[in-house]
Amino acid sequence: MGWLVRLFCHEVLTTSIEGGYQMFTKKTMTTLAALIASTPLQAANWLMLQGTEPAGAAPRAKIWGFIQPEYQATSGTKLAAGPWKGQQAVFNQIGPDLDSDNTFQLRRARIGVRGTGFGLDSGINYFILVEAGNNGITQLGDAGPVKLTDASVTLNYIPHARLRIGQFKYPGAEEGLQAIHVFNYVNFTNITNQQLLERFFDEDGSRTGTADSVANEPNGPIGAFRDIGVQLFDSFRLGEWEHSYAFMIGNGNGIDRGDNDGDKEYYYYWASEWVFGGKGPRRQGWKLFAWYQDGKRTLEHALGRSQRQTFDRTRWGLGTTYLKGPWRASAEYIYADGMIFSGVDGGAVPGALNNAGTSRASFNVLPEEKADGWYLDLGYRILPQLELDLRYDVEHRATRNDANRRDLETWTLGAQWFFNRKARAIVNYEIRDFSAPKLPDGAPPNQILDGVDNRLSVQLLAIF
Amino acid sequence: MRHSIPLRWLLAGLLLLAQSAFAAESEATAKPFAENHVVLQISDPNPFKQTLVLNVANNLLRHYGPDNVDIEIVAFGPGLRLLLADNANGKRIQGLADQGVRFSACSNTIRAFTRKLGHEPKLNSHAVRVAAGVVRIIDLVRQGYILIKP
Repeated sequence: MGWLVRLFCHEVLTTSIEGGYQMFTKKTMTTLAALIASTPLQAANWLMLQGTEPAGAAPRAKIWGFIQPEYQATSGTKLAAGPWKGQQAVFNQIGPDLDSDNTFQLRRARIGVRGTGFGLDSGINYFILVEAGNNGITQLGDAGPVKLTDASVTLNYIPHARLRIGQFKYPGAEEGLQAIHVFNYVNFTNITNQQLLERFFDEDGSRTGTADSVANEPNGPIGAFRDIGVQLFDSFRLGEWEHSYAFMIGNGNGIDRGDNDGDKEYYYYWASEWVFGGKGPRRQGWKLFAWYQDGKRTLEHALGRSQRQTFDRTRWGLGTTYLKGPWRASAEYIYADGMIFSGVDGGAVPGALNNAGTSRASFNVLPEEKADGWYLDLGYRILPQLELDLRYDVEHRATRNDANRRDLETWTLGAQWFFNRKARAIVNYEIRDFSAPKLPDGAPPNQILDGVDNRLSVQLLAIF
Repeated sequence: MRHSIPLRWLLAGLLLLAQSAFAAESEATAKPFAENHVVLQISDPNPFKQTLVLNVANNLLRHYGPDNVDIEIVAFGPGLRLLLADNANGKRIQGLADQGVRFSACSNTIRAFTRKLGHEPKLNSHAVRVAAGVVRIIDLVRQGYILIKP
């Protein structure tokens, strides 16, 4: 580190003197260099928290994990119109099974090991995590009851250029990148759930018929905001500000499998946080961040043609988080171009035969559409153990074509009871209002979407 | 030149003695009004113990006041990781050193780390090498220090 500081000082001073400018004194530069060289805090900086260990103070192998049992319920309103009229509505069923409108389930059950392996060398650390809960990771694509979600090694030898290699969360949107056990709600916002939490398909859902394959079920586990690849990253301090960057190349094909098309996914991330104090995942500070990801996806049947086709998929966003004292806030704008997830035919449960018996409901992707959305989230600790939360989020889905356009708005009322630092309960009530804004109120899509129920969820979290 | 190796050891020994003498002198003069003398031992591989020993030192300073308590933290065995240059607790060590806390690093452990690493580990600039951590503790206890192993 010292050589970098010296080089930095020398280069800037030389330039300054040779150019005849006296913009910086030597003392100022030394102070600046010292600030840059200071050890970064590892707190609500997800890149550092998940990808590194505290130097000289990490265990060889720390076992940890968490459990999230939950209950979710809707009124179970059935479809009011369309070819599946009278059948179960997918948006009122509880995922991932979609068998019931109210259910107890084990949403997540994860156990992992992390550490340095060789305690005297802080240059290498590792992170392994497996999932055994009931969710898209274990239930989609015949994944199996237990699935590896993270397995990575970080090399910390090059100053300001750490390398993380393996399978891990890619740098991106706050909801995806943050540790799920400090997520303040049970369910993600609509835009994150539909356009960032990626489902991988073989087709776009345009094929019709009664064959089981028409349902277009995902061909593998849900993306889980993770990829397999290499990430270059680090954080550094400048006074009260902590700046972080990340650049990653990945397969863009989800978890636990290789690339399927040779096209790589590229991820870019920057965050600057004014650190107020504290440490850990709930460090107090004000963070600004921006991210971008770009790749391609391959479908075997799309746009009515049964042939291999490749489509661009781009996502980007910018946002902010704030935590100080009893107040907490976050907001983010997200834009999606290509491979827009657009739900299920007629709002039916995937695989359900229509009332005429002529076709099955399928998952749909609109390969050349666009979407955007945003959320605003506020939280206030009225007691040390009780936080009240309020979140508004909206997704404008398929904005290029009026017939496909859907707006998904949700107000979420929440309360979190913190039993202690490792255990809490969350109660959420989601007031959902979905519509097809470019179609008449009486059109079948709007009749169907009028049946979207509010959703109650109660979740318990225990970390060990 | 056959005596060069013993001579080297002799010089090293003299250097250690001089260092120890300097350390002993500095511990006597660093806090002339200190009524409480405490030696804290860190020899555990558990990283939590690093936090704990620094917390204890901090609490002692707060309770007695920096001028009234003389603290030396002796690190040996796996506990020496606390005094490695890149340790994440560097700022806390700096803060305690600014209040007069001394940090002793066991030379035996440094040699063991050197064998395992293939090179000598860099130490925190506030760490002072002592011949052996456990001997250093015994010496301090004989001088009236209270030994605490958090």
